[in-house]
Amino acid sequence: MRANVWSGRNTVQVENVPDPKILNDRDAIVKITSTAICGSDLHLYDGYIPTMEKGDILGHEFMGEIVEVGRGVSNVRVGDRVVVPFPIACGNCWACRHELYSVCENSNPNAGLAEKMFGHPTAGIFGYSHLTGGYAGGQAEYARVPYADVGPLKIEDDLPDEQVLFLSDILPTGFMGADFCEIRGGESIAVFGAGPVGQFAIASAVMLGAGQVIAVDQFDYRLEMARNRAGATDTINFNEDADVVEQLKVLTGGRGPDAVIDAVGLEAADPHGVLHAVERVKQATRSETDRGGSLRDAILACRPGGIVSIIGVYGGLMDKVPMGALMNKGLSIKTGQCHVQRYMKPLYDHILKGDIDPSFVITHQLELGQAPDGYETFKHKQDECVKVVLKP
Amino acid sequence: MTDNTSGGWPRPIDATLHGVTDYSVGATLMTVLPNLLGISDTPAGTQLRVAGAVHAGYAMMTDYPLGVVKAIPYKVHLALDALGALALAATPFVTGQYRKGVSQWAPHVGLCLFELGSLLLTDPTGRGDYKADVEAVREGNMEDPHRKIHDGQLAVRPATA
Repeated sequence: MRANVWSGRNTVQVENVPDPKILNDRDAIVKITSTAICGSDLHLYDGYIPTMEKGDILGHEFMGEIVEVGRGVSNVRVGDRVVVPFPIACGNCWACRHELYSVCENSNPNAGLAEKMFGHPTAGIFGYSHLTGGYAGGQAEYARVPYADVGPLKIEDDLPDEQVLFLSDILPTGFMGADFCEIRGGESIAVFGAGPVGQFAIASAVMLGAGQVIAVDQFDYRLEMARNRAGATDTINFNEDADVVEQLKVLTGGRGPDAVIDAVGLEAADPHGVLHAVERVKQATRSETDRGGSLRDAILACRPGGIVSIIGVYGGLMDKVPMGALMNKGLSIKTGQCHVQRYMKPLYDHILKGDIDPSFVITHQLELGQAPDGYETFKHKQDECVKVVLKP
Repeated sequence: MTDNTSGGWPRPIDATLHGVTDYSVGATLMTVLPNLLGISDTPAGTQLRVAGAVHAGYAMMTDYPLGVVKAIPYKVHLALDALGALALAATPFVTGQYRKGVSQWAPHVGLCLFELGSLLLTDPTGRGDYKADVEAVREGNMEDPHRKIHDGQLAVRPATA
């Protein structure tokens, strides 16, 4: 089969690789009909997530048709159309029983590696380095899905792939970011980053009843999508005015947003050029793994007693975290890789009811063979790129 | 950073990182380096300051992400780097100041070697910025980005609606 593989920093290529096989009774093989490039794939592409090996198949957002199941899988059958959540979860461990699927205690065969890095192992993830299990990803024609009796969501109507594909990751991730903000109605929510996850965090905050949703980014076209399609009430382009904290205060009557969602992560652009240059050099020389431009402003902007919701991916260590502001303002931090399995079904119901059409973020739909160009176009925000979907 | 390997070896320095190096080296030469080396009041110190100013000057005029005026093509900038490095190394020997001691020529030669080494690790295409086949992406794209962003309706139903 053809698959998009990691071949070194800033290089991916589509190669012929062996077809996946059932290895375990609870496995299924999925023939992929749609897959996507995630913003967090760019962290792998840029070489900031350790333990990638040449030939690793990328991709953790995918859906398709079941073509083979192991003996222990009875909830889905050959021919079923399914969306596959990106965290691999066993369904039986303490974490899974508490709906904390992204920290499943059994699904990461390289738990020791993750434990050294994070103190505890985290769940396996498709196509996301050997730190998360070294599983082959879904930017391919076929994928093996472990614990297929737990993860995949059966799509039982004729909604097009484009409307349900993002149940695999970015829609639940954006929704979880908004869910963390404890929206009861009328709150002001700032969302840092108007990429695909940011767009869904904005849309989710709107759907949950926030009164004011402020999108922060440096690209006008993404801010326009946030306003036109996701429902942001205000936008801030920090290239025009770097003082995001002050602008957020002005927009919220001087108090600051009730909650701030960081949908940016470890490759944040700091609005202040000198700081950005310093962090870029430190990250390039591997003296820190995570740039903190977004998180710092999120903490500084959030109103006292508010919530900072972190759904952008961070991988290791960050310098200059304003712990004083965090502690003295009494902020709560909520974060995590998304527990996708918890949110898939309710969000599927929202899609069915017409509350949200997630396909609005797709600006590029390419054939799988064009994955390398897709990565470059997404990384460099060319041609107003927001989200790339690949068709095997 | 990129992993361009033109020339047979890795060239991890892209145009942005090259720019960061240009400005930081230029600023160091103009300010603290002559004092640190104890040559502040000598012709060697002046030469380093001038070299730093010239370097930062044409960096500001280069067509790369950290350039301000963007008048000088990136490859011309790299050629200027190489010529400037060789000229700097040659200066103490042309003026004869090398006879006054190691401090009057070693910084020049050291900086020249640093500059040439950094050039060997720089991706000369500057394509750390973008290396996709633009036309192929546009032809292959089954979506219309402009329509999706600018012409579409709200894709979410607000809770209050």
